[in-house]
Amino acid sequence: MLVMRRRAGESILIGDDIEIQIMHIGESRIKIGIKAPKSVPVTMKEVQLVREENLAAAQVRSVAALRGMLDRLIGGSPSAAS
Amino acid sequence: MEFPDGIPAFEQERQFLAIRQPANEPLVFLQSLSDADLCFVALPVQSVTRGFKLSMTPEDLEALGLESGGQPVIGRDVLCLAILSLEENAPPTANLLAPIVVNVRTLRGRQAIQTDSPYSHREALPLREAACS
Repeated sequence: MLVMRRRAGESILIGDDIEIQIMHIGESRIKIGIKAPKSVPVTMKEVQLVREENLAAAQVRSVAALRGMLDRLIGGSPSAAS
Repeated sequence: MEFPDGIPAFEQERQFLAIRQPANEPLVFLQSLSDADLCFVALPVQSVTRGFKLSMTPEDLEALGLESGGQPVIGRDVLCLAILSLEENAPPTANLLAPIVVNVRTLRGRQAIQTDSPYSHREALPLREAACS
């Protein structure tokens, strides 16, 4: 991975048409401005995780497995003995 | 419920119906209105972990028409559901990194990735050990 040191207000260019600007450096997070063509999707990396998780969650599952899970859910199922 | 941007991987699914069944409390089924085969199983975040606090980005708050001054209160301002993954041969998990947040006044919803969240996209459910047979 290429590592560069930048100050607030400075930028990085990727190719001819992508610019990443360090806009503000806070205590625990930084604010970044990104200029890129509309054809380039820009998302937080977590979106990729969530996308994969949503695809996994959308898989058809059995009703029996669901019931089994519910019966073991602590404090959840009305039929659960306490 | 209306999801103007869909949810990641299902961007075209804009309308979901939240279904609760007395026999399956506290589960909430999120049924897509445009794809009969697409139905997520979810739990209110409070059923997964106590004391869950939202940490939404200003962009997500704005998209849901919520005030950006603070975080919405679950139950009063928003409905907050964690989508479950129930894969075979693996313990069930709940996505607390990105709960489904719905503005209760407008019924507009969004999958809101949390910032500074101590929770993961695969949080274990509070289950009792399966009975030995």
